[in-house]
This record gives sequence, C-alpha cells and structure tokens, in this order.
Amino acid sequence: MTEGLPGPLTDAPTPSPTGDRPAAAGTRQAFLPSEVDPTVFDEAFLRQLERLLLLMRAPVRGGLKGGRRSVKRGQSVEFADYRDYTLGDDLRQLDWNVYARLERLFVKLFVEEEDVTVTLLVDASASMAAGSPSKLLFAKRAAAALGYIGLASEDRVAVTALAGRTARRRNSLRGSGRVFRLLADLSAITPADGRTDLLVAARHAAAQLHGRGVVILLSDLLDPSADRVVRELAATGSELIVMHILSPDELDPVLEGDLRLVDSETGEGIDVTVDLSTIDAYKARLAAWKAGFADLAAKRGASYVDLSSDVNLADLMFAELRRRRVLG
Amino acid sequence: MPFITPLALAGLVFVPAVIAMYMLKLRRDQAVVPSTLLWSRLLTDVEANAPWQRLRRSPLLLLQLLLVIALVLLAARPFLERPAGLARDIVLVMDTSASMAATDVAPNRLAAARAAAIDALGDLPTGGRVSVIAVDRSARIVVNDTSDLSRVRQALDELQPAASRGDLGDALELASKLAARSGDAQILIATDAALATVPTTKVDAPIKVLPVGRERKNQAIVALAVRTSPSAVTRSVFISVANLDIESAQRRIEVWGDDRLLEARDLALDAQAKSDVVIDDVPADVAVVEVRLVGRDPAAEGAADQLAIDDRAWAVLPPTQTRLVLLVGEGDPYLETALSYLPNVELYGVAPADYGPASQRTDGRPWDLTIFESNLPSTLPTTPILAIAPPRTSALGVVTGTLKDPGIGSLSPDEPVLRYVDLSTTHISQAQQLTTPDWARTVIPGPKGAPLLYTGVRAGLPTAVLAFEPRRSDLPLQVAFPILLSNLTGELLGGSAAPTDAVAPGTPVNLTIPSGATGVTVTRPDGTTLDLVASAAGGASVSYVATGLPGIYTVTPIRPAGASPNPSASGGRSPDPTPLASARPSGSAGAPAVPIDPDAPVRFAVDLFDVGESNIAPGSVAAIEGLGAAPDPSGSPGNGAPTDRPTTRDELWLPIVLLVLVGLCVEWALYHRDAVVRMRRSLVARFGRQPGGTT
Repeated sequence: MTEGLPGPLTDAPTPSPTGDRPAAAGTRQAFLPSEVDPTVFDEAFLRQLERLLLLMRAPVRGGLKGGRRSVKRGQSVEFADYRDYTLGDDLRQLDWNVYARLERLFVKLFVEEEDVTVTLLVDASASMAAGSPSKLLFAKRAAAALGYIGLASEDRVAVTALAGRTARRRNSLRGSGRVFRLLADLSAITPADGRTDLLVAARHAAAQLHGRGVVILLSDLLDPSADRVVRELAATGSELIVMHILSPDELDPVLEGDLRLVDSETGEGIDVTVDLSTIDAYKARLAAWKAGFADLAAKRGASYVDLSSDVNLADLMFAELRRRRVLG
Repeated sequence: MPFITPLALAGLVFVPAVIAMYMLKLRRDQAVVPSTLLWSRLLTDVEANAPWQRLRRSPLLLLQLLLVIALVLLAARPFLERPAGLARDIVLVMDTSASMAATDVAPNRLAAARAAAIDALGDLPTGGRVSVIAVDRSARIVVNDTSDLSRVRQALDELQPAASRGDLGDALELASKLAARSGDAQILIATDAALATVPTTKVDAPIKVLPVGRERKNQAIVALAVRTSPSAVTRSVFISVANLDIESAQRRIEVWGDDRLLEARDLALDAQAKSDVVIDDVPADVAVVEVRLVGRDPAAEGAADQLAIDDRAWAVLPPTQTRLVLLVGEGDPYLETALSYLPNVELYGVAPADYGPASQRTDGRPWDLTIFESNLPSTLPTTPILAIAPPRTSALGVVTGTLKDPGIGSLSPDEPVLRYVDLSTTHISQAQQLTTPDWARTVIPGPKGAPLLYTGVRAGLPTAVLAFEPRRSDLPLQVAFPILLSNLTGELLGGSAAPTDAVAPGTPVNLTIPSGATGVTVTRPDGTTLDLVASAAGGASVSYVATGLPGIYTVTPIRPAGASPNPSASGGRSPDPTPLASARPSGSAGAPAVPIDPDAPVRFAVDLFDVGESNIAPGSVAAIEGLGAAPDPSGSPGNGAPTDRPTTRDELWLPIVLLVLVGLCVEWALYHRDAVVRMRRSLVARFGRQPGGTT
C-alpha cells in the first residue's frame, strides 16, 4: 500500500531508526504540506503504519463498500450461507450445483465488505498541554497513526477536538491519499484556554456521530465526569477505544515539600505536604482511578489503554496496541 | 524527683512554643500541575480525619516536645540521693613512684590508680572536699581542699610516674596533717603497695587503699660502675642485674659506649637472684657508657618485662685532665715530691722573688692552684690558694704569733679532707698561730682554738691555709702526708664540677660554677635545658634539683658576653715557670692527659638503682590500712560523728542525654525517612531480586 503515499519521496530525509520523530526535528520534509506539523510524522513511520490494520472486534454495519467485513451479505468472495430463492433474486447468485443435486433453488450468500467511520476524539483541554513530553502532542501523533491506519484500511476517518464545551468535528476522510489532510486536521488542534467540560464536549461529539463505527478517545480523563464520558460514548453503539494518556510527571510525581499545587485549567490551588507517604498515597489513588476506568470500559465493551506520554510511538503502535488486540 | 537547679524548669515554656510553630501556616512554594483532581481527592482522604490523623502523623512534633522536655530536665539536673561511701574530707594520696609505671595493667598502674581514684570519688558526699597528694621521692600537695572534682580530675591527669622510689611515710605524715583539719576525714591511697620500706607513721584518720597491680615480672639493672683496671690500661664495666620475678628469665645486656654498641651478652637470670656482669676493654675514648637490658629476642613484640625504667642505666667516665699547680717557695723536697705524685697534676715552681705578673702562663691558661710556701705576695692571685705557714696577716687569715710544739686537737671523723688520714702520730715543732676566718672551717684544730689547717671559699675561690711547714713536722715521713695533700688539693682544685657517682632520681646535685662563669646550663636527657645562675655574685656553686629523669645530664658554663674563659695576663710576659714535675695519675687509662677546658661540658648520670622500687610485686594493702584509725563500727566512712552520716547525689544526666540522643536520631530518621525508604527500595530493587527468582 505504499503506493498510496502521495508526493515525491526522493528528497525525504533519512528517518530515525525508531521512526518516532524526523531525523531533524523541526525541518520540514519535502512531501509534507505546509499545514502539517512536521514533528508529527515522518515517511518511514507512515510506511510502517501501512502494514497495520485496525482489528475490529465484531463486524459493523457501514455505508460504502470497504475492506472491512460487514454484518450484511454482499458481493465479496467469502461464502457466508445459503437461503431459499425468492422471486426477484439475482439469478447469478443461484447455486446450480445444489440445484442439480437437490432440485431446489438456493441462493449463495457472501460476506459483505463495507467501510466504517473511525472517529478520533482528541481531548484538547488545557491539562493535555502539560507534561513532558506534552500529552496533547502524544495524543495527536497517536491519533495520526491510528487515523492513517484507518485510511489505509479504506475506512472513513474523522478527527474531533474536544475543547471547552464543544466538539469540533472535521470532515471525514477516506483513502490513504487523504493522509496529509488528516495530519493537517490534527496539526490544527491547539490546547484550549480555560476550563474544559469534557462531558459536555463528548456529548456534543456523540451527537455528531453518523452510525456505528469506531470511536477512539485520546484524553487524560482529568475531569470529574470522565467516567460518564466513557459511559455515554460507549452507549453510542460505536466501538469505543479509550486511550488514557498521562505524563510521567503525573504517573510518578517528583514533587517534595510543602507546596501549593495550582490547577493548570482552573487556576485553583490546594495546599499539600508532599512526602514519600503522600506520593505513595497518590500512586495508590492513581492506580485505583485507572483501574476504575478499566473496569468501566470492560463493562461497557470498550477497550481501555493507559499510556504514558513518553512511550515510544512505534512501540505503542507495533507492540502495545497489538498486544491489547486493538491493532491486528 | 529533686532538682539541683529547679529554676531551669521554667524552660518548659518552650513546649507551647513548639506547638505554636506547628500551628503556624507554612509559606508554601507554588507548583503548577495539569490537574489537582487526584491531589484534591487525596487531600480529602487526609482531611477526613484531620485532628487525629494529624496527631498520629506528626511524630516530629511529639519528638520535638520530648526533646524540649528532656533538655529542660537536663538543665534542671535531677538527682537521686544515697548514703555516701566516703567521708566529707578526702585526702587522696597518689603513688607516683617508679613502680607505678609498671604495665601489668594497661596502660600502666598510675593510669589504673587514677581511674580507681576517680571512680572512688564518685562516693564523695555532697559538698565533700578533696585534697590530692602526689608522692614519689617526697610528698607534695597538688590539689588542696577543693570541692571541684573537675579540678581534681585535671590534677590527676597531669600526674606522671616518677623515676624515683616513693616515700609513703612522708605522704602519710602530710595526709595526717591535712586530715586533722577536718572532723570527718578519710585518706585514700591509690598505690600498688610495692614499697621498699613499709611506713610506720600512724594517722588518726581511716585509710582506704585503692590497690592496683597484680604481677611482678621485672628484671632490673641495679648497679653500674666503670673502673680502671689495675694495669691502668683498660677500663671495665661492672653491671649487676636482678631478677625480681618468681620465675627465671632470659634477658640480654647491651653495653653502649657513646652510642656505639660495645658488647651484647645473653643472661639467664634465676628467680629472685642477682647476676653480675663484667665487660672489659672499654675503649679509652668512651665518655658515656649506657647499659640496656633488652629481651633475648629483639624481634619479639612487647616489653620483655613490666617496668622499663630500670632497664637502662648510664655511667659517666670523667676525662683525664691535667691541673696546673704553681708552687711559690724556696723549695721543699717533701712537698714537691708529694705534689708531683698527685694524679693529673703538672707542677711548676717559682721563687718568691720571681713571683709576680711575669709568672702568668704565656698560653693564657690560669693556674688551677697556687701554693705559697712560707710567703705571701702583696696581691693575692685570683686562683685557688693553698698558703703554707703564712708569714703575715693577710686576707687569708690573721697571724697572731707562733706556736711551739702545738698539739693536734680533736679531729672530726666526717671531715672529707681528713679522709683516710691518720694524724695520731704526727708531731709539729712549729706553726703559725692563726685565727679561723669567717669564710673557713677548721680542719685540723690546734691548741687554744688556733687552727692548724682550715679551708673554705673566700670570695668565690677555694682557699686553704696550713699553719705549719711540713718540713717542720714529721708529717712528710708518714703515709698520711700524701693522702692529706691529695685530699686538700682535691678540694681546692674542685675535681669535677659534677658528681662522679650515679645520682638517684630526684636527688639535688651541687654543681660548681667555673671561675668567670655566671652560671651553668643543664641539658636534661630529654633535651630540655635550664639555665642556673648563682644566687649571689661570685657564688661558686648552684643546686640543681630537677633530676627526676634518668639519663645523662650535661652541664655547660654560662659566660658573660665578651668574657673569655682564659683571661690573658696583663703586663709583660716572662718565660713559663719551671715545670717541677709532670705526673700522671697512677690509675689513668694510659690516655694522654688533656688540659682542662673550663667551658667543656660536664656530665653526670641519674640512675634508679633501687632494688626496692624495681620490685613491683604488689604489697600488703592491710599493712597500709592498718596505719590508719579503725573504721567506725556505725558505718560512717570518716572519723566524724556517726549521726551525721553524709549523703551523695547521683545526677541522672546520663539517661536523659541518651534519651536526647536517641530522640535526635529518630527525628533525623523521620525527617529523612523518604530518603531512607528510597534507598531501601533501591537496594531491594538492586539486590533483592535473585536471577530468575522472586524478591
């Protein structure tokens, strides 16, 4: 599928072995459009992504013909079942061999292959801008990777940014040739100023979904209503994948002493005396918090992947998501 | 619980101060986090049980309160009272004799005695007073009647074992007088009781002995002498070594001459026996002989015995020096012959008419002795003088007439000039009638108080006057004559400026100041020096008492600036007086006699040579305690009234200090507990996991 990559490749810089970042960060590659953030992807990583497909847990009903198994019976080469002939059926679908043996008309049914819509919900709240590396940057790169896999699988891919109280949905894209549009859409996502109500924004995004498909939420879930967000997105009928992204500083805080912690979104502060026991309690609370999301996702039939923003993206795509049966 | 300084309890006001500091709001640093969602949930957990949780989770506050209270208690000095084990007034006698340097108890007996004394003084009653007497060759008070135990400890720490024997009797007399000042006194004696002579002094106060020492392994050099052989060619070293142990011992004797090893000899010493060693053929140029008693195996570690101070001894070999004697007279063959046979004497003669400035020596050396035979010059020389039958009154004495057949009076047996001199058959036909001057002592008394021989120091110059000419008596025909002349010239010439025999440690030494010198400088064996100046102008000798250190002492004259030890004669020079004879000492070692250098250093040796002190076997404690008053049957430690039994206080500072230290350690651990836990976790992570196994 590499032939799907548009643009000249000869002048592209040599990719890094990991494919995580361009060899020279910040230098624009020749094939990238101007609106694409060059720090998101390089050519080598795109080539690796082509070999992956989103592994769907169950066939879904889609719209146009695609490369994905549908619940409908259609025109593919994969045999599914027989049924009695009724008037009006396409005579080309009759199984004459069975008729010769049984003298009854049966119509052969084949598995229909359709496309699905992969919706990438990127949390653009102010808290996502924190961390080193930035959680939003990691989310955009992961979304780009997943979106490109969707495009390469002849699925529709739509990017939606959750910021403030709204969800801004970009036009859905189809075909691997639209990858740079996808990258441009992701590059346009910037952290929101002020507080983000993730639940309201998610409801807005859910209202914009067309039919059932795959919804991938990339968020730090640092919102008091994050569990309701998961519940309501799972209730849309789409397959929900929650990618819970936290920075290393949040997973293992390096704070110590008597501090006033200021919330980056609300500006509110709390006084905390941080010592090892406090850190241990924080970690226990964090583990319980993440376990709660994992349980909730499992109950709602969703996939839950907790990530650190310093995870190597190639490892995430080629190992972690395959291990968790998100990619196949 | 009683307190010595209860006012210090006011420091408890710091307790609420510490609590107040914990209640003060902290000034916190700001840290921006992505979200306080998880932190606020955590804080909610903490604050849910805030009062109790905070108390339970603030061990630092509890520890600091505990530390404040402990420090206040420490300042208040709590104590427990109990009956004292000692009297109110303690006279502590510390034995610092040579045997206290024995190392059978580490590091030595004196240190053990010091520790025992300090421990015993823990039973001193409240307000009790202590006097400390150090006793070696004599007793001396080092601390007098103080209640400051730190001062006592300091004085005890400064005590060092001496190199002399201990005179415990002297100390008991002194202690008895100190104890008599108080009605409730007790004498503590810290000693090994290894006494050469057990004292017999009875004291009125009870005596308690703090014994130290338990062994007696010691061998000692108890005698050392260097003698010239009868052949007058060689010199021999005589050494006596005593084994004071109850077991035989193997030792080695090393004889060093001027820091050169002359000979080493192995000795097998029987128990409780002496062994004499003679080392012959000591080189003639050796000035100082040192004898060392060492172990048979030099490579063996540790001391060969338990007392080292008696394992070394020194002896000084006096140099053979010539003395210049000028005889002014018409010539008495008896006198000249006797003088010529004196050892180390060069005799010169000059007629009375020729005596004067011209009779000074051309080499600048002064005469060591001038003898005037029946004549006197108008001006007496500034040299030692022996005047024989002075014809007239002079500074040497008043001549009142002539005595015919004077009889010899009663002679003093202690007179050194008359040592070995028998004058019982001496007859004198004629003598000058003299009166003994104030500066002189009568050596040979004559009739009616008129001396026949007197001697003394006149204006700093040894001077003697013999009232009769020897030829006018039968004395020259008797053996007493050369002996008398030898003794007399020996006194006038002064001999050596230092004692020739070994000096016992601590014994005062009379040092002669050479003519023209203002004093002497004494260099001790450890290299320290001390300048001794004559007490009065023209003083001929000084007394030196700091002889406590065994070894060689060197005495050097101090000359005034610009002064020459050999003042040149004024006026014209004449040929030297005729040498009458040149004699060598009959017992000389054959070495050529050298002229006396007035500035040449003079040495003397200080040696222990005390079998009683070298015997370090601990003695009888009961014998010493028996010298004191009987203990009071009522249990009172001193000689005071039994109803007034003193008490002592035990301050409880040690457990409080330990509590404070433990508290500080715990506080430190709590304060740094995060670091400690992190370190433990890293160690567990590094070493706790076995390869392929579990933690």
